[in-house]
Amino acid sequence: MTTPTDDTKSQGYAAEVPVRLNWSQHAPEVYKAMIRLETAAKRGLDPALYELVKIRASQINHCAFCLDMHTKDALAAGESVERIVQLAAWEESRHFYTEKELAAIELTEAVTVLTDGFVPDEVYERAAKHFDEPELAQLIAAITTINAWNRFGVTCRMTPGHYTPGQQA
Amino acid sequence: MSAARTQLLDRGVAQALSALSAAAKKGLGDPELAELVMIRASQLNHCAFCLDMHLALARGNGVAEERLGLLAAWEEAEDLFDGRERAALALTEAMTVLTEGFVPDAVYEEAALHFGDAELAHLIGLITAINSWNRLMVGRRVAPGGYTP
Repeated sequence: MTTPTDDTKSQGYAAEVPVRLNWSQHAPEVYKAMIRLETAAKRGLDPALYELVKIRASQINHCAFCLDMHTKDALAAGESVERIVQLAAWEESRHFYTEKELAAIELTEAVTVLTDGFVPDEVYERAAKHFDEPELAQLIAAITTINAWNRFGVTCRMTPGHYTPGQQA
Repeated sequence: MSAARTQLLDRGVAQALSALSAAAKKGLGDPELAELVMIRASQLNHCAFCLDMHLALARGNGVAEERLGLLAAWEEAEDLFDGRERAALALTEAMTVLTEGFVPDAVYEEAALHFGDAELAHLIGLITAINSWNRLMVGRRVAPGGYTP
C-alpha cells in the first residue's frame, strides 16, 4: 500500500518538510507522561465524541500531524466523511451533530483559544447541561490533552501523511 | 456572580500532568527560567490560579521582583533577560498562541541555538505542561490565592 505522501511525489507536489526535533527520543519521560495523560483523560468519554474534539482542536491549532492521525482514526472507527469535513464550519452545519456534540465542540474552541480571554460562562453552562460533572471534568481534561499533543506536533513539526489508523489507539 | 464551575479533576490526569511538569523541569535544569516560562504562558492564557502559584514560587526561588514585573514586556527590557531567556520566552509565546499559526522558523532556530536537543525537548515539554495546567484551571475557573509554596 502506498501512503498519500508517496502518491503525491509523482504529481509535482511540494517536497516534504523535515521534522525539527524528535522530542520523544530526547525527552522520553515527558513522552511517557503524555501517554499517561492521554489514557487518564479519555476515561469515561465517548470515543466518537473525543475524535471530534481532537479534530477540531487540531484544526484551530493547525497541527497537520494530529489532523492526519485523528481524521484517519475517526474514519476507521466509522465516523462519516461528511461530519469530519463539516466540522470546521460546525456553526453553519449544526444539523450534522447532536446538541451534546455541539456543546463539546464549542467548549473545545473556548478552552483552546484561551489567549483571547477566558472560557465564556454561556459556553461552559451549555456544556454543563449536556455533560454530568465527572464527564465534564473529563471533557476539559481531554481538550487539554489534545492541545498538549498539538503543541508538540506543531513545534517539532511532526510530518503528516504517514499515519496508519489504529497506530496510536 | 456566575454559577460555580466543577472543581473535579481526575486523579490520574493530575498525576500524569504533574509527572509531565516534573520531567520537563528536571530535563531543562534551570528552575529560574522554568518559572519565567510558566509565568509568561500563564499571562498569555489569563490563568489567575497559575499566576498566583508561579509568582509565589518564583519569589520563593529568589527571582528578582524587577524581572517578574517586566516579564510581560521582556522584548523591551533587554537588560533584564539574557539571550537564552529571550529565546525561551519567544518560543513560549509562539507555542502558546498556536491559533494564530505555527511556530516561526526564526523563533525555533533561535531557541535551538541556545538549547541542546535534549534541553529543547524538555523546554517544549515544559511550555506544553504549563499550557495544560492553564487550560485545566481556566476551564474550571479555579480561584487564585489558595496556593502556598
